[in-house]
Amino acid sequence: MMPDWVFIIVRSIVFLVLLFITTKVLGKKQISELSFFEYVAGITIGSIAGEVVTGLEGNMFHGALALVVFGFVTFLVNFLAIKSKKFSDFAEGKSTVVIKDGKILEENLKKERYTIDELSALLRQKNIFKFADVEFAVLEPRGNLSALLKRENQPLTPKDLQMKMPNEKEPQTVIMDGNIVDESLRCAGKGRGWLYTELEKLDVTLDNVFLGQVDSYGELTVDLYDDKIQVPAPAQRPLLLATLKKIQADLEIFSLETDCEKSKAMYKRNAKKIQETIDVLSPYLNG
Amino acid sequence: MKGSLLVTIASNVKQCLATMNGIEAQLASFALNSLDSEAQATFNQAMLTVGEVKKDLQYRVLELERHEPQYKGS
Repeated sequence: MMPDWVFIIVRSIVFLVLLFITTKVLGKKQISELSFFEYVAGITIGSIAGEVVTGLEGNMFHGALALVVFGFVTFLVNFLAIKSKKFSDFAEGKSTVVIKDGKILEENLKKERYTIDELSALLRQKNIFKFADVEFAVLEPRGNLSALLKRENQPLTPKDLQMKMPNEKEPQTVIMDGNIVDESLRCAGKGRGWLYTELEKLDVTLDNVFLGQVDSYGELTVDLYDDKIQVPAPAQRPLLLATLKKIQADLEIFSLETDCEKSKAMYKRNAKKIQETIDVLSPYLNG
Repeated sequence: MKGSLLVTIASNVKQCLATMNGIEAQLASFALNSLDSEAQATFNQAMLTVGEVKKDLQYRVLELERHEPQYKGS
């Protein structure tokens, strides 16, 4: 007969594997966003496993069966919830509108058994201290609050200012710990040759680079192991904008300096062209 | 007096032309290196515009040189 502790080790390992598989199957939702059903199932699965691992008099396979059943039912509920809206409303709950058109809906608040204090606390967590600022707020099934601020209280975006912002692609990390990441380099549409040239331009060696990223304009920024060395930040784009502005000013000056009417017109026309180019390019060249 | 003014103008225009060559090259490099297709198109268009302006200036330099051939080459 094996000693008890060997049983405990064996059972622990078996249930660890089983729990791991169950959670894998059930998906990767965070604890905070578990639905009511998943919450209950999670607690029960955990305590069944704990019970069986230490309770040596019980049958291990009964415990395992219970665990599998709980896992399966949860899986089934999730599956049905995806298939049917009605079922998901029933099993996972529905969101409740608590503020609409800037007015608190007292009935809905009561139905969810929330007090005014709790509602204000939830609003405060969203940095809202005045309910009058809120246009629309919803209590989500998971118990958190989503609030839409009134238009005038929303943060200002470039769109509000009618500014055109260039589309930025995600930066690619091409150097990690002094090693070239070929896959990201390919994603950035570059090769090793390009990278070596850029590093040479910055006057650093590859093995001194802790982290190197390429932005959507193909500019390389590096962080070195040696923090005392100053690496110039890429300034080609602002520089280009400045040069364009200089050219524009030069053309204006030329147009003033010449007596020939034809050349005057030519300089003026071109100064205007450059100005238009500057206007189009400046969103891309700033910063 | 008028001649020396012409010389400075011609050399200024030439300088401007040289700077524009640099701009054109830089724009071409951005057009090639940018990942966003809209950015690529914008840089490309800007490069073409700069090219047009450059052509006008080149013509003007030739004109200035023809007017005062003795100041050629500055």
